[in-house]
Formats: sequence, C-alpha cells, structure tokens
Amino acid sequence: MMLSVRGIEVYYGAIHALKSVSLEVEQGEIVSIIGANGAGKSTLLRTISGLLKPRTGEIEFRGKRIDGIAADEIVRLGISHSPEGRRIFTNMSVQENLQLGAFIRHDKEIDQDQEKVMERFPRLRERIKQNSGTLSGGEQQMLAIGRALMSRPSLLLLDEPSLGLAPNLVTEIFSIVLELNKEGTTILLVEQNAHRALEVAHRAYVLETGTMVLSDTGKALLANPKVKEAYLGG
Amino acid sequence: MSFWIRRLASIALAVGGCFLIDWFAKENLKDFIVRLVVLAALYITLAVSLNLINGITGQFSIGHAAFYQVGAYAAGLATVTFYKSQPLGLALWIPLMMLVGGVTASVAGLVVGLPSLRLRGDYLAIVTLGFGEIIRIVTQNLKVVGAASGMAVEPKMSTPMIWLAWLLAITSIAVCRNLLQTAHGLGFLAVREDEIASSAMGVNVTRTKVAAFVLGSAFAGMAGGFLAHYEGFLIPTMFTMDVSFIILTMVVLGGSGSVTGSVIAAILLSTLPEFLRDIQQISMAGLVAAAISIIAGVVAVRYVSQHVHTPSTRRIAYPGAIIGSIILTVVLSKVLAFIPTLANASTDGSRIRLVIFAVTLVVLMLVRPQGLLGHREFGWGSLRRSEA
Ligand SMILES: Nc1ncnc2c1ncn2[C@@H]1O[C@H](COP(=O)(O)OP(=O)(O)OP(=O)(O)O)[C@@H](O)[C@H]1O
Ligand SMILES: [Mg+2]
Repeated sequence: MMLSVRGIEVYYGAIHALKSVSLEVEQGEIVSIIGANGAGKSTLLRTISGLLKPRTGEIEFRGKRIDGIAADEIVRLGISHSPEGRRIFTNMSVQENLQLGAFIRHDKEIDQDQEKVMERFPRLRERIKQNSGTLSGGEQQMLAIGRALMSRPSLLLLDEPSLGLAPNLVTEIFSIVLELNKEGTTILLVEQNAHRALEVAHRAYVLETGTMVLSDTGKALLANPKVKEAYLGG
Repeated sequence: MSFWIRRLASIALAVGGCFLIDWFAKENLKDFIVRLVVLAALYITLAVSLNLINGITGQFSIGHAAFYQVGAYAAGLATVTFYKSQPLGLALWIPLMMLVGGVTASVAGLVVGLPSLRLRGDYLAIVTLGFGEIIRIVTQNLKVVGAASGMAVEPKMSTPMIWLAWLLAITSIAVCRNLLQTAHGLGFLAVREDEIASSAMGVNVTRTKVAAFVLGSAFAGMAGGFLAHYEGFLIPTMFTMDVSFIILTMVVLGGSGSVTGSVIAAILLSTLPEFLRDIQQISMAGLVAAAISIIAGVVAVRYVSQHVHTPSTRRIAYPGAIIGSIILTVVLSKVLAFIPTLANASTDGSRIRLVIFAVTLVVLMLVRPQGLLGHREFGWGSLRRSEA
C-alpha cells in the first residue's frame, strides 16, 4: 500500500471536519474523492500533505508514519499537493513558479523537467517570463499542475483541477491526469465534477459531511443509484 | 573558473570603490557632507536589511532601530571593556567589533523572529515596536552602559572610516541581491506571497522567516557597531522610534521588496532633510502657492493614472502634470504676493523642513503607492523586471 489513512479526526477549532476517515491508495492508481461542498475533501488532502494535523488516527506513506511531519518534509518524501484554488505565486513569473515547484531538489535535471512541463503545456512555454497573475484561469491551472510535477512526486494530490474551466479545457486536464498516471505517477484526485472523476478513477470514495460513506471502483460508483442521484444529476 | 574570476573581480571593484569614495570624500567634501556620506551608507544598510524582513519575506517588522541599538551597545561595551588589554590596532578592531554587534543583534533577531512564526501583520508590528521600546528603556536604566546619560566609546575612530561604512552597505546589498538569485531566495519571496503554497512546495516557512530576521538584524547590528566607533558616544535617544520609522519609510518609499528601491530611498531620505536645513527664509506666499500646486499636481497625476490609458499620452501627461504644478507654484506665488498679509509674513526654513519631508512622503504615496521602484530591480546595464 502506498498511502493509507486510518481513522483520522481533523478539527478546525470546534468544527469537526473529518470523522474517523480512512482511505487507501495503491501504487499506480488514480483514486478519486467526490463529495458535496464542505464535505471535507480539501481538508483530507491538506491533512495528508501535512498542512493540517489530525487529532487522532494515522497516515502512512510507503510504510512510514507521516502524520505529524512538517509539510516541507512530506514534499521531500514524494507527495506533491496542488492545492484548491491553484495558489500559484501571482507576483512571480511562470518560470519562477516552476522553479519553486522544484524547491526541494538540487539535482541537475531540473531544467530538463521544466522542459518536459513546457512540452506538456505549450502555453506555458510561450508565457514563461510572463507574470503568472496575468495568465487565464485555465493556464493558471496548468501552471499549478506543472509546478506540482516539478518536485517529481510519486504521489500527486490534485484538488479540483477542473474548477472554473471551459468544457474543452476540462477534457484536456483529465487527459493529462490519465497521461501522468500512465507515466507512473499515482494520483489522488478531489473533484466536484463527479462524472469525470469517476470515469478516470480506478477506485473512488464518497465523502459526506466529514464521513466516508462509500468506496468502490470508479465504474461501480458510476452505476450506483445512490451516487447517481446525489452526485451525477439523477 | 570564470565564475570565480568574475566574483573576485566584482569584490575587488567593490572594495576599490569604497576606498575611492573614502578618498574623494576626505579630499573634497566639507565635514558635514562627509558625515552625510557616512550616514547614507549606514541607512542603506539599515533599509536593505529591513527590506529583507519586511519587503522580501513579508514580515511586518517596524522596530528595526532596536537591532541597530543592540549592535551599537554590544560593540561599544566590548570596546570599552576589552580594547586596552588586547594587541589589535583600531583598523582591525573596529571591523571585529562590527561583527560582535552583528552577532549580538542577530541573537536579538532570533528572539523577536520566533514570535513572528505565530503572529502576522499588525500583531507582529506591535511586538517588534514593543521590543524596540523595551531595548531602549532597558538601556536607559542600565548602569554598565551609562543609563540615560550615555556611554563614551573609547577609542573612537580617529578619522571617519568612510570606506568601512560603504563596504558594509555594499555587502548588505550584495548579500540580498545574490540571495534573491538563488532558489532559496525565491523561497523568501514565496513566503511573502503565500505561506501555505510555499510549504506545499517544500519551503520551510518557519526557518525562512527566522532566517530573514536573523540576517536582517545582523546587518543592522553591524551598522550599529560602526556607529558606536564613529560617534564615540552612545545614548538611548539615538535609537528612538523615529529612527525605526525612518528606516521603515525608506523601505516602503523605495518599493517593498526592491533592494534598489531601498538603496535610493535611503540615500534620499538620509540626506534630504539635512540639505533642507539650509533653507533660509520662505515667504508665506510661496508656501501657500506650493501647497495649492502640490494638491493640484497630485489630483492631476491621479487623474492621468485612472483615466488615461494610451501609453503615448501617458508619457506626455505625467511630466506635464508635474511641470504644470511647478509652473503653477511660481505663477501663484507671484500672484499671491499681491496680498499684503501673505507677502509680508515669512517663516524660517529650518522650522518647516520636517513638514516638507512629510509632504514629500504623502505626495509620493498618493502618486505612487507601490513605492518608487515597485518590485523592480535595477540591474547593471539593463532594467530587469524581476516581478511586476
Ligand atoms: N480554515 C478553516 N477554518 C474553519 N473551518 C474550515 C476551514 N477550512 C474548512 N473549514 C470547514 O471544514 C469543512 C470542510 O471543508 P473543506 O474545504 O474540506 O470542504 P470541501 O469538501 O473541500 O468543499 P468544496 O467542495 O467546497 O471545496 C467545511 O464545513 C468548512 O467550512
Ligand atoms: Mg475543497
């Protein structure tokens, strides 16, 4: 098991955001988490990447306990988090954003990886020196994903990569997710767009107000009447 | 190899430049201007080092004079206590004492930097301001350092070591500029922009903030160490809140985050008030005319920035607004001179120099809220836009 989350409880002050949540991700998988607004999806990703600490429960990554480890150490272990709302550094150039993605690395292949990112996202190449705050929403999302890739993660956490994008861009983003996965990156995906998220996922979980209520293969959940009614528009 | 040659050459150039300034100033300038040349270097160091904390890393620290003072007193005390019983000459001893001041101040920076991990914005500002006052009040009551009546630092430098002050200033600039060009420096800027995203990138936010505080206060402390031996006398009133505010103003005025901006603003603000001291009599008519024209000028510039969007028109409109307000000042002062009450009244220039100073700042902030240089840097040969 690459990642296993066991019975974590997460609070924001008095707000109980995650209630005994468990989840597992196998090497090479795409795992999706779907759920309504406020269900706790982003909270779960933030807890895995160390931005939040669970009050109880355990998180294990490749056999090592990572709950309680600082976020910057977790990046070094190979988990990269592309947070909700992109959070690119808008006052910096595209290139500087990518360099920050490789912040933990000191090898000589950083430029090579930047080249790869630009091959994957040609629009970023054209705007490499441009201030990233001036990018369109879709370009910013591509930058956020590209930046997350720069640390060469073995596990990529993607929080709503399709948020606010036009349909053809959504398709593009999801095909990139599939491509990355084929090249060997394990992906944990959080999405509002439940249909797409279940389509690409090997397995998926349904989170409801802080509790995991369902888990199955992506296909099975797509066919599940409860999921259909609640998340796929009937 | 060529990297090291370039590096060595630029160091040699910097050191040579410092001695050139030293030689030129001593040969050609009046004593009071030499003093300004020294103070400018110290204020450059202070502004650049505060810029590292405030502008680059985004920690709103406003008590920078405290680190200046800690460095000054540590160095001063060390000289008073140990100088006589050691073999070094002053030319070596003073740089050594600057290091002592720097190290002591960086410990103080660590102490203040630690709460900065939990506090941000206004709260951190209050803590740093409070720290500054605590340091000043403690020294005011501390017998070993002469309490409120001050402490003589013996021996002081026989002639001003201008080169040393400038070497310090240039070193602080070089350290900040080089830092910004490394991956680590990018981490400092990232922390200013978004702490959560930075830690998601693997930047250790805690360590970055503390490092900024420690490095920034170390340079302020070295400036203090120099000051102690330059003045030969230290008294707590040399380090009041005004000093902190002037340093902060330099950073904001230069454009938070811009090293070049800090340097330019430090030179302007440390020398301008001294030159204004020379203004003799100013007639009331002139003052009123200037006030009216300044308001008109600010309104005009703001109008242009909000309503004129074609670059070519803007290029004419901005200088136009400024030249227009200057012409308006002249014309108005002649017109107003016909009013007898205004024509006959006048005021002593030195009394209003602080007013002029304040008005300059207010006008600049109205016209260019992002500071003189914004986030831009001035590189050798080319104007590089590191950020917009
Ligand atoms: N910083 C915070 N402080 C307090 N409460 C928070 C904070 N962040 C999230 N919450 C609360 O925790 C719950 C889960 O939020 P979370 O952001 O994880 O939801 P989500 O499933 O990602 O929703 P969405 O689909 O809208 O992004 C919500 O009730 C939210 O109000
Ligand atoms: Mg969310």
